[in-house]
Formats: sequence, structure tokens, C-alpha cells
Amino acid sequence: MITKFSKLLGAGVIALSALVGSARAADTVKVGVLHDLSGTMAISETSLRDVLLFTFDEINAKGGVLGKKIVPVIVDPGSVWPAFAEKSKQLLEVDKVAVTFGCWTSVSRKSALPVFEKDNGLLFYPVQYEGEEESQNVCYTAEAVNQQAIPAVDFFIAQGKKKFYLIGTDYVYPQTTNLVLLEYLLSKGVPLANIGGGFVKDSSGKITNAGKYTPFGHKDYQQIIAEIKDFAASGDACVISTLNGDTNPPFFKEYAAAGLTADTCPVVSYSIAEDEFRSLPAKDLVGQIGCWTYFQSIDSPENAKFLAAFQAWLKTTKADGVVKEGRVVDSPMVLSYDGVYLWKACVEKAGSFDVDKVRAVWKSGISFVGPGGKVTTQPNMHLTKTVYIGESKADGQFKILKTFPDVYGEPHLKGTFKPKE
Amino acid sequence: MVWKSFRPLLLCTLVVGVGLLADVRAMAAPETARATIVRAILTSDDAQKHTIINSLIGQGDEAIREIFTAWRQDNLYIYTAPNGAKIPVELTGDKDADGTQAAVRVDSGEPLKDASGQPLRLVAKQLTAVEHDASLRRVMKNVVDLLDLGSPLPAKRLRAVQTIGFAQKADKLPVLEARTGIETDTEIKKELREAIALIHLADPDDGVKIKALVVLQELHNSSSYDLINALRAKAEKDNKPAVTAAAHSALLAIDHHRSVVKFFGTLFRGLSAGSVLLVVALGLAITFGLMGVINMAHGEMITVGAYATYITQNVFGAGMNFTLPFIKIAIHLPGLHLTGWAYQLYFLVAIPIGFLSAALVGIALERSVIRFLYRRPLESLLATFGVSLILQQMFKLTFGSNNVNVDSPVYLSSNWTVFDVTFDWNRVFVIGFAVVIVFGVWLALTKTPLGLLIRCVMQNRMMASCMGVRTERVNMLTFGLGSGLAGLAGVFVTQLGTVGPSMGQEYIVDSFMTVVVGGVGSIFGTVVSALGIGLTDQSLQQILLNPVLGKILVLLAIILFLQWRPTGLFSARSRSLD
Amino acid sequence: MSLPATDRPYFRSRHLEFIVVGVLLLLLTVIFPLLNAHGLLSDFTITLWGKYLCYALLAISVDLLWGYTGLLSLGQALFFSLGGYMFGMYLMLQIGMLGSYAKSGQNPNGLPDFMVFLGHTFLPPFWRPFQSFGFSVLMVFVIPGLLALAFGFLAFRSRIKGVYFSILTQALTYGAALMFFRNDFTMGGNNGFTDFKLILGHSLVDNDTGPATMRGLFIASALVLLTVCLFCHWLNGTKFGLVRQAIRDGENRVLFSGYATANFKLFVFVVAAFIAAVGGALFVPQAGIINPDQMTPDKSIEAVVWVAVGGRGTLIGPIIGAISINALRSWATQAYPDSWLIILGLIFLLVVLFLPGGMVSLPGKIKALRKSQGKPVEPAVARA
Repeated sequence: MITKFSKLLGAGVIALSALVGSARAADTVKVGVLHDLSGTMAISETSLRDVLLFTFDEINAKGGVLGKKIVPVIVDPGSVWPAFAEKSKQLLEVDKVAVTFGCWTSVSRKSALPVFEKDNGLLFYPVQYEGEEESQNVCYTAEAVNQQAIPAVDFFIAQGKKKFYLIGTDYVYPQTTNLVLLEYLLSKGVPLANIGGGFVKDSSGKITNAGKYTPFGHKDYQQIIAEIKDFAASGDACVISTLNGDTNPPFFKEYAAAGLTADTCPVVSYSIAEDEFRSLPAKDLVGQIGCWTYFQSIDSPENAKFLAAFQAWLKTTKADGVVKEGRVVDSPMVLSYDGVYLWKACVEKAGSFDVDKVRAVWKSGISFVGPGGKVTTQPNMHLTKTVYIGESKADGQFKILKTFPDVYGEPHLKGTFKPKE
Repeated sequence: MVWKSFRPLLLCTLVVGVGLLADVRAMAAPETARATIVRAILTSDDAQKHTIINSLIGQGDEAIREIFTAWRQDNLYIYTAPNGAKIPVELTGDKDADGTQAAVRVDSGEPLKDASGQPLRLVAKQLTAVEHDASLRRVMKNVVDLLDLGSPLPAKRLRAVQTIGFAQKADKLPVLEARTGIETDTEIKKELREAIALIHLADPDDGVKIKALVVLQELHNSSSYDLINALRAKAEKDNKPAVTAAAHSALLAIDHHRSVVKFFGTLFRGLSAGSVLLVVALGLAITFGLMGVINMAHGEMITVGAYATYITQNVFGAGMNFTLPFIKIAIHLPGLHLTGWAYQLYFLVAIPIGFLSAALVGIALERSVIRFLYRRPLESLLATFGVSLILQQMFKLTFGSNNVNVDSPVYLSSNWTVFDVTFDWNRVFVIGFAVVIVFGVWLALTKTPLGLLIRCVMQNRMMASCMGVRTERVNMLTFGLGSGLAGLAGVFVTQLGTVGPSMGQEYIVDSFMTVVVGGVGSIFGTVVSALGIGLTDQSLQQILLNPVLGKILVLLAIILFLQWRPTGLFSARSRSLD
Repeated sequence: MSLPATDRPYFRSRHLEFIVVGVLLLLLTVIFPLLNAHGLLSDFTITLWGKYLCYALLAISVDLLWGYTGLLSLGQALFFSLGGYMFGMYLMLQIGMLGSYAKSGQNPNGLPDFMVFLGHTFLPPFWRPFQSFGFSVLMVFVIPGLLALAFGFLAFRSRIKGVYFSILTQALTYGAALMFFRNDFTMGGNNGFTDFKLILGHSLVDNDTGPATMRGLFIASALVLLTVCLFCHWLNGTKFGLVRQAIRDGENRVLFSGYATANFKLFVFVVAAFIAAVGGALFVPQAGIINPDQMTPDKSIEAVVWVAVGGRGTLIGPIIGAISINALRSWATQAYPDSWLIILGLIFLLVVLFLPGGMVSLPGKIKALRKSQGKPVEPAVARA
């Protein structure tokens, strides 16, 4: 019986891979969707799956790509990081997808990346990230640090802020962002004493990084808020937060309860977009700053069209597990949308789905006018796009305060800014 | 809106501050306040805009408040005259059928007229809106704050004084001194002294500086630290030992005051962190401590309480729809559409609802799963872990994978500040809440017939059964009580943290630690251990300035502690070996 | 703790069981790589199964403690990950000049990329010896072994057992995970180790030679699993094995018979840590990543569930459990992403309630059911 079972299982797995691997009709093209639909990251990534399905439907309705209909292959790594490598391998080697849209966290991208490089696949990555990476197999539609963190700091400096408190969740994105911001603030003549949150020093005593770091799922921000309150007592202070989604509600609830407001000490949060705002007490947080390359409140015909089409799709879609009510749109979703259209444009210009050819077209510079404005591909696999700074309103939307058009995506920023003498 | 409601108070302001305002007027630039504001509106550069508006500080023109209010409320627009001139206007009054409104010129306060002298009516949509952002509003507020120097509200006066102090402009001294003469509030008097001293710090005369430093040293207020520090650095560079020394001792005084504040702050924070732990772990102290069930689904009982609060909030508000997964039953909960205080009461109503819903889920769990596993505690761990996975996914499918927001009612969203130590109301509430439920549980277990039955069944199920106790029923109720307490914790943690499908997971390890350290079976032990862990954790965080290291050290300490006392702080003595 | 008759495993003789396991594993060691070399089995499948075998090692380590000794450790994922980290350090240093910083000339010292990333300029001293394969392999045993020894010594000396032991191991795992999550710890923080290129000079990523390396790793995993099975089988037959099971079934009686049960338990705990660590070390190059998420208490509980589902107290049970649950996961996360956790949860529940002996007891149960011919069989749970 045991033997039978084991054999059966083996046969099953082999048969399954064969089945999925077998070619379907010739007028379709397979496209991978690699987002967590279960586990901790499902909170954020489920919306990306939804918007991708919407985009595929929209493109298919207009005749597909190169005359082929897009067939999504959706896999769920379940917020288990080794599963990203496994599922990427499956998409590339078994399903043989033409392109993959996916990943959110840095660690998931790092897990999938070696597989994409080995099998020469193409991954479109849509979420703001730490930079310091330029893989030839990843199209970074995401915001680079200079397309988010730096404009926001500029904004605060222009507003006369003199003291900056850096806080983040302890993982690569906040660490690197703060490292760059420390260099940037020093280059703007901000003295070390006016940078709050503490410093990281190496064994020789040289400052290597700044900021206060809390673990994932941290719940108790009392101490840190007390520190911020003291830091902000002398006025003109602001907080630069790279706290990850789940830790924002406890942070902001404590912040509001301690009597801090956007008027006394504003917070810019790089990880809070419209979608995350739904879990926050928006009315206590009016006036906090967000900085993205898209806001739902952008007033443009492309955005209006996109929003209407997405809402209409939500009403009619038959796809499993799509929440239909109370949906909002945010930057990672729009960058996923832009990504699909950019890929389509590249494929059509190249006249082929071949990864090398598509990449060559990407590097040559292709533009697409998306809901967030014009985006243009760059030779370094990133995008040039418009950066917006917005402040939150009581309804959880952002009011756009400043626009920086056509910011070039620059992944390597470390060491770029030299301290002011 | 807020501003308008203060209009009646303005008269008082005027009356009280007449002399002071007259002073200010004398110093004002020849340009009228209205003209200055027009200049600010038409400037595109942010920094310059701020400078212009800041130049209004000290002016007493009431028009400033009115125009700024209109600005904040998005009523200001830029009208481009036929000759190309840009004229800022305020649109007022109701819209007529065409959507037009009356337009008032910002520069004069008179209605806008066309070439023929007829008042113009304009459509907001066709004009350029005058934008504003948080920092601009702050700058405007500063200006208005000065008007607030005479406000009857102490909090407003306090802010106004502070703002003037930080700006360190000598020309504001007369205003402050005038105020000092009539101010009655001791807190504000202190603040006035500080503000005056801060302005003196910028005085070119070292003697004045040193005198000011002595005052600041006496006040030892954290907010003056930066300015003193800057002064010290400068004095050191310019080689002025007397000023340096005075600044140094002022800084020392502030540092000392800070450490005292930190100490009491940490004490309070430790107490509140301990109370959170206690509230969260108390349910487990019953299901695990008394009943011996390793309930890995304890966290999900907390989640049930939290979602119950979320639902209650929505029912008090606009109502909500959701679909039960798999059976696909759509549920529509109509909203009560309450506002104001009636709405704020939702939280108090949620407390019993949270308790009952979690208790019901707990009873269902006990009947369907746990009752088969009383003799297999280790396996109850696995089964309840399975239950926890199922429940989490169910929450996700029902309420969406996104975290949801539970509003803080007004009575939990502010704080008292006593001697610079902040006492958040939600934290104070959780301490009180912990005291009440611990007392309640103690009463229930020791003073009620059910409590007696619970204790006897937990001590010896067989014997109790022989004595005619319906052990099955007692088991069920005990588990229900434990789960209900977890639900109560869930109601409360909505005020502190994230509400989402997996929120319960974040409390599970902490809860088990608390119960084990306290001693399984001892409610009193759980209380002591929760407070102990909370205080240690917060103190370590304060000392190490690192929230993670503190937590790791606490875990390590717990492991070592249990080597020393394997059964926890307080354990039920028994002669049985296994 | 011992199971009722109907829940006992299918194999009446433990030798027969071992022979079945051994033959199956040998077949796996030979057939899979052969099929793969001839292109009949995809590279994807072979790496996937390689990982399953590593999971099986983790499951055996849990079974050794829980099934045979009655100690439910929730710390096995910690030892698994520690083994993985130790070997991962070797793999990280092997990247050397192939990393992306080194390629662009920003990393003259060949530091792991994540260190350059965080502003380090030289390799921390404790990393240096991991350049050597031999040292790294030694550490795979030494570090988890020492931790197990220290923790086990303290725990067993003060007679912590049952639930307390589970919760303490859980706390240990949780604390260690928090530690490894910290970027200051210079172990890669949340991102952990990834982007491995070489192992003993063989490429892991090259399109020509990579598959052969993976095949090698698969064979190594299968052989290690076979060796571990052989060891466990031998151990079960010794007096030591019997004492161990006696501890599970009635520790105090063993204690009163004059055996120092603490020492027995300590030995088993350390051995189990070794087994888990080897599994972790083999897992890392095949999975391509190790990060602190792998050492959370949840992962330990999951491993316990594999054992429960397969059948504890048997040799074959953990292997079957680990492979079948993970294969099910691979399939269900694609077919039913929304219900996967519910399916998993239900499996836990049903196995604990109705099949305490796990899958291996299923044939016996069915037989018993047939024998009783309509007479209702009292469910195992009622007796428990």
C-alpha cells in the first residue's frame, strides 16, 4: 500500500507537471502572475493580482498582444520565501511563460531573482524598493529611492523642517533608504544632532546608518512615540517613516493618542498608499504626507478612464476571490498596469515574445501614458516617471501638493551625496 | 468651521488685548494685512510664501483670520481680469442655478466689480483655486496663534507663546511682556517666561544671554534644549566661557529633568504594556492554565473580539455588507447612522458584544474539538493550530485580506500631560480595564457557584463527575469564559494595534510566556508575570534604545527563569507526579 | 502516550518497515536522477523532490523526539535553519567575485552583497572561517548541537517536560528568529542569504552544469535520509532505544528504575538537532534561499503536523507526511489558493481527532473495520 501510495504520488506530480507544461492553443501567450494570495503578504498583493487580471482582460478585449490572447498562470507562493524560487522555476521551466508580473517584498524578489537570471526570464516588479540592483531580467516599474524618498525630503526641507526622525521596520528597504537619506540630509547641511532615531556604527565607530528599527509585527510604539515627542518639542521636526504595513496602525494610533498631529510634527510614510490607508484612522491623520508616482486623486483623462474601467471590471468579473466592494487603487497597482502595457508595447515593437528582443526594445526607451502620467523605460531597466507628493484627507485619499515631472529612476544612490562641509 | 465658532470670542480678544494690539499695529509694515496676503497668494515659491505670511506675525488685523479661514476652507480663488491682472477673490454665499457665487476681493474686502461697476458673480470651477498644504496651514496658524495670545482658551495661548519663543524675534518681546502682566494661568506664565528667555538668548549682549540661561535652567523645559545647545556650540567657537558654562549647566538641568520624565514615563508605559499582556493572556490563563488545553487558537479568539468591535462600529455608522465564505450567504447589516456622542458609544457597546461572540465561538470549538482532547494536551496543540489556520482564512474570506480600521472614540484618543509625562487615555483605560477584569474573574472564580464548580472540575474531573457535577457543561462554560476574555482583549487591542485576519498570531507567543512564567493554574501568577514582563520589556527598551534586543533579552530571561522555577512563579502544589 | 491497537502502524515488524523504507529510498536515489539525466523528469521536479527529502529529515528529527521519546519540540525549525545558515555562510562566501557589487568593482573584498548593501567594508571575523567547506560542514553540526546541548541540559536538568518543554522551545525559536531578523546581526536580516552561485566549485545556476549539481544534491539528500533511517532503525533496536520509548510511556517509572532519564533525553535532543541541521544544510542550496522566516515557531508546528499526518513513532510516517503535505501544498496553492489554509487546517484537525496514528495506521484501521463487520467501532477519540 505504501509503495502504491508513493508511486501514485510520484506519478501524480510528474503527470501534473506534464499536463500544465503541455502547449495550449497557438493563439495564446502565457503570462505568469507571482503574487502572494495567502499568508502575511496577501494583504497587499491580492490587489495586484486583481489589477493584473483586469489589465489582461482589457488587452484581450482589444485583440491581445501580437494577435495572441493573454492567458494568466497564477501561482501563490503563500508568503513563504523559498516558494518564490520554486514557483518562479515552475513558471519558467514548466509553464514556460513569456513574462512574469510579481513580487512585493524585497526578500521575495531576491528569492526569485536567481531563477529568472538562470532561465533568462523577465520579471516585472511594481513596488517601491531599496535600489542597489539592476538585473537584466527584471523590469523595475517600481519607484526607486530617488523617485520617492528624496523628493519627500526635499519637500520637507522646503517647508522649513529642520529636524528629521527616521523610523522603519528592520529590513532591507528601510535600512537602505535611511542610509541614502542620511547621506542626503548631511549633504543638505542638516547636522547629525538634528537627525533622530539613533545611528548604527561599525566596529571602528564610523556611522554606517541611521534610524530606529522595529521588527515586523511590532505592536508597542509607546517608547518611540515618547522619544519623537521629545524630539519634536523644539518645533520644526518631521518623521520619515519606512514602517511596513502592519506596524503602521499601532504607530499612528499611539502617535495620535500622544497628541502629535500633522501640524506639529508631520509624518511621511513611504509604505502607506491608498490601499493601506483603509486600515488607519484617517480622520486622526489628516495632513500626513505620502509620496508616490501615482495617486488615485490625479485629475487626468487617463486616470478617469482607468478608474472607470477598473470599477466596471470589478462588477462583471467572474474571477475567484476578487473583493468587489470598497476598492481603491494605488501606486503599486497602477505600476503593475503600466508594466503590462509597457511589456505589450515592447513585444509589439520587437515583433516577438523573445526575452532578449523585448529587453532590447525596453532599453531603447518606450513610453506609455498611464493613469499616473507618462512613463518611459530606461536603459538601466527602470522607469522615468512623475513623482507626486500628497497629503492625506479624512476620506483616506491624498490631495496632491507637489508634482515633480519626469524623474529619472536611479537605483544606485549610495555614496552619491557628499556631506556639506 | 472651528474658526467661525470662535468668532464670538474675538470680541473678548479685542477687548482684552486692545493695548497690546495697538502696540503691534504701530510696528506693522505700511502695507495692509490684506495686501500682504494677496502678495503671498500670488507668489509661487513655497519658501517665499511662508516668509510673506510670517511677516504678518504680530499684526492684529482681524481680516487675517477671516481670509485664512476662507483659504483653509478652499474658498479662495484667483480671478484673471480681462486686462490680465490676477485678482484673488473669496467666493461666498450660496450657489445659484448656474453655480455662480458672490466674489469678494481679498485685497479690499469689497465685492468684485466689472468694468461697469456691477458686482461680478463667478463659477468656482472656472477659476484657479488657491492651494494650501499642511505646512502652509501651519504657518497661517502661527499667525492666527498670535491673535490667539488673547484667546480665552489656555491651550491656544500656550501654543501662541511657544511659537513666538521659538522664533526668537526681539520685536515680539513687548507683546509677551504685556501678556505676562495680565496672564493668570500658571502654566502659561511659565511658558511666557521661557519664551522671553528664549528671545533673550538671541540678544547680542552676553549678560542678557546668561541671565536668560539661568531662567531656562530653572525652567528645564525640553523644548528649549535645541536653542540652548546651538548657543553653546556658538559660544564655544567664539570662546566665551561664561556663556558656555551657563549654557552647559542649563543643558544639564534639562537632561536631568528629561531622565526623570523618562523614568516615570517608562514606569507608566511598562504598567500599560503589562496590562495589555495581562488582558491578552488572561483568557489563556483559564483555557490553558486551568483547563490544560494548549489553545493555539487563542489568538483567533482575540481576532473575533476585534472584528466584533469592527462590526459594531459599522452598525453604529453606515452599516456593512459581507458574504460568508463557501456557503455564499450575503449578510447585510443596516447602519444606525449615529453621529456625535451616540456614535462614540459604539466602543462601550462593543465590549459585551466582543465578549459574547468570542465566548460563543469558544463554546462551539470546545463542543466540536477540544472535548475529545482533554487527556491529550499535546495533541490539543496541533488540533487548535489547525483551527487557528481555518479561522484565519475564514476571516480573510469574510472581511477581506486587508486590515480594517476601528476608530478611536474621543474618550480614548487624547492624553493628560502631568509634569511632561504623557498619560494616553487609551493606556490609562487599559490599566483600569485590566484591573476590572482581573477583579471580575477573581470574583467569578471564587465567589460564585459556577466558580466553585469550575475549580473543582479543573482539579479533578473524575472526582467532580462522581460527585454529580456535570463536568461536560462546566468544561464548556469554562472554555467559553476563557474565550470570552480573549474576545474582551480583542475589543481593546483595536485601540492599540492592527485589526486584520492574522492579528491574533502576534499575541500568541507572548500570551503563553505570560501564563507559563506566572505559573500554570494561577490567575494571580499571570497578573504578576504580565506586569513584570511589561516593566522589564519597557525598561530594557529604554536602556538599550532598541525594541528588538529588549524583547530577545526578555525571552532569554524567561527561559532561564523557568530553569530555576520550572513551574512558574506561583504554581498549584500537588503531590501528583505527572 | 502509546497508541491504541487500531492506531498502530501497518507494519507488524519494524524490520519489514525499514526494508520497505530502504528500498524505496534507494530506488528514489537511483531512478529520479537517471530519469532526469535522460530528460524524462524535469529539473524542476528533481529540485522539488530534493527539498521534500530535506523536509523529511526535519520530520524525522521531530519524530525522534515526539514519536519515540515523547518530547514535543517546537524548536526543530530553529535547528533546521541554523544548519541552513551555517552552510549558507559557506555558499555566500563562494559567490565572491560573481556577486553584482563585485562585478561593478564596488566590492574588492568579496563581501556578501547584503553587507556591502548595509555599508560594511570588511568581513566580520566570525564569517572568515566559513570560506572552508570542511569548517562549514563541521559548524552545521557544532552550532545547532551546542545550542541543543546547552538548552537541553538546562531544560532536562530542571525536569521541564510536556507542555512546558514545547512552550520553552517555542520561545527559544521565536527569540532566535527575532535575532536573525535584525540586520545588525550581519546574517542578512529579513532577506537572509540568496543568490548562491557555486558549491565546491560546481555551478548551481549554470544552464549546462547546474542541473547536474542539482542532481548531485538530490542524491546527497536521499543518501543522507537513507543513512538517518538506518541509524534510527539501529537505535530502535538497541537497549537505548527501548529506554527512550519507556521514557515516552512513563518517565517516572524509568527514573525510579535507576535510569538517568535526563541524559537519555539530552542525547536524543542533540541527535535530533543534528538531523534537522543536516536537512537544513542540504535544503539551502536546493531552495536557493534561507531567511529567518524558516525558523519561526509556526514552521516547527508545521513539521510536527507532517509527522502527525504521516504517523508518529514510525520510520516511514514522517517521510510520507513531509512529502505528501508538501506535494499537496505545491499543488493546492496553485489550484485553490483561497482554500489551501483551510484544507491544511482540516487535515490537522481530522488527523488528530480521528487518525492519531497517522496515515500509516490507515490500513490497520480499515482492516479492523472490516473485521468488526457492522459492529460500530468506537472512535479512537472517545477512548483518549
